[in-house]
Amino acid sequence: MPLLELKNTRKDFGGLRAVDDVSLQVPEGAIIGLIGPNGSGKSTLINLIAGSQELTAGRVIFAGEDISDLAPDAVYNSGIARGYQEPSLYFKMTVLDNVLLPVKGQRGEKPWYAPRWRSWQREEAAQAERAINVLEQVQLLQHYDSLAADLSGGQMKLLEIARALMGQPKLLLLDEPTAGVAPKLAYEIFQQIARLRADYGITFLIVEHRLEILFDFVDYVYVMHLGNLLAQGAPADIVEDTRLREVYFGE
Amino acid sequence: MINIDIGATAVAILTLFGIYSLMAISLNLEYGVAGVPNFGQALFVSIGAYTAGVTYTRILPLLAGVESVHPCGPTMGQALQLRSEVMAAQPIAGFINLALTFLIAAVIAGAVGFAVSYVTLRLKEEWFLALVLLVGGETARIVVRGADDLICSHNGISGIAQPFYFLGDARSSSILFMLLALALALIAYFYSQRLLHSPFGRMLKGLRENEAVTRGLGKGISLARAQIMLIGSAIAAVGGVLFALNTGFVNTNDYVVTLTLDIWVMVVLGGIGNNRGALLGAALIALLDRFTQVGAIALNMSGSPIEFNYLRFIAFGLILLLMLRYRPGGLLPESPLTTNAHDVLRRASGSQPMSKRA
Repeated sequence: MPLLELKNTRKDFGGLRAVDDVSLQVPEGAIIGLIGPNGSGKSTLINLIAGSQELTAGRVIFAGEDISDLAPDAVYNSGIARGYQEPSLYFKMTVLDNVLLPVKGQRGEKPWYAPRWRSWQREEAAQAERAINVLEQVQLLQHYDSLAADLSGGQMKLLEIARALMGQPKLLLLDEPTAGVAPKLAYEIFQQIARLRADYGITFLIVEHRLEILFDFVDYVYVMHLGNLLAQGAPADIVEDTRLREVYFGE
Repeated sequence: MINIDIGATAVAILTLFGIYSLMAISLNLEYGVAGVPNFGQALFVSIGAYTAGVTYTRILPLLAGVESVHPCGPTMGQALQLRSEVMAAQPIAGFINLALTFLIAAVIAGAVGFAVSYVTLRLKEEWFLALVLLVGGETARIVVRGADDLICSHNGISGIAQPFYFLGDARSSSILFMLLALALALIAYFYSQRLLHSPFGRMLKGLRENEAVTRGLGKGISLARAQIMLIGSAIAAVGGVLFALNTGFVNTNDYVVTLTLDIWVMVVLGGIGNNRGALLGAALIALLDRFTQVGAIALNMSGSPIEFNYLRFIAFGLILLLMLRYRPGGLLPESPLTTNAHDVLRRASGSQPMSKRA
């Protein structure tokens, strides 16, 4: 049974069909690529899974549960975290607060306990220890009390991944994790992703335009075009597929 | 010329500072920290004042064991005299009545704040809530003014004596009342500081900075915002009770939209998101209030045709505009938030805290 399964998902924006009858499967522990030219519906598909947009039709099944109608916070709490194409950090907070905020079920988040520091400080300290590990993993530990706004572009992308990890997701949806990052750093970000899968067993669904990097790391690729699934297969097969050239280069 | 009693003026300004601090801290929690634009602060302050109007006319006689007279209409004067006698002779009844007033006002305001925000925020975004509260405050005021019995409609209720009235000596009773106001403001300050530097405060700041992302990180945003509205509204109502006791008078005319504007000026001037800024803003506005009052009287006596009270509104409007243009963070901008997790990491990594590094 796949960890995530999309069954005939569809999304209409007025008269525009952004996602048309897309079905795909993400097996547990896999890194799956989702590619296609701009406007092909990749980001919409991510939004549909994450619950930030409502499905017009179809179902989203995650770990055997139907999560099609859940709100974004409920989707996150069911085990799916996501990154964003645009910058989405808390820029006025420290790196550490950025990663501590998404921790689930914090006692100190309840207004009754919040002013009584003793009631949650031990729990917070334990989460800080976890945060040390996660920040160390993405080489951001020495910046823990810098403001997120002061990080470099590549570090911001890594912090976003670290933040998503603190919620202990089973599946991580990433929308262009290397957008606006220098090529060398982009490769390092994907190395991090591969390491996170190895260390934590996290499954990834990644939207990416840098195919030359993506194809080195993914197990399987789905190609979207104008809201439809155009092709799918192992990276080696997709590279050979002439349809890919057609949609990307119009050849 | 007018003679100014410096001691009495200082007491008056400090009392006002305590009362304004409660209102500013309330709005700072709601808007400064959580990003909920409460344009109905006057509503929650007025709930406190109206509650005082009701308890001092209905509950106080019961507590004192005297037969109550209807506070409005033909028996108005008799009821007023009765209140004054009870407050002068039975301090215990006065204190119990005051405690009940705080409690009832905080519960009603908190419940209204929570219910209105939770329902509205689930339907629409926060600026819609701002409009609902703005209209709600004015509607509530007009309804209360039209209600004959509650606080005697447009006449209002006078003789809401402050709790130390029984001392007889105006000076010492007003000093004690000032201390009460300052003590409550201090409690509200420390409480809100603790709230701000907790995971709850962190979540609210996250909501303010990026609502969609915070929702995507598993936080139920409508509930969190309704919770801070409950807390903020309860604090504002406590300020409203003190406000009524300070003037000794409950009248709907005191709770118009301009009161909301005053509180916004305090927060924007002092520092959005910073509780110390809220206190500074409250202090500056309390001073400005007093000076414009004295100035208005002085101008009037000198025969000037200028209505100085309007200059006050012009000054407040200018302060808002200039602050938003040149110093949007306020005089004391907020500092990045740290919970105790930062200390844990500091010990673990042996690195220098940010404050000592720069």
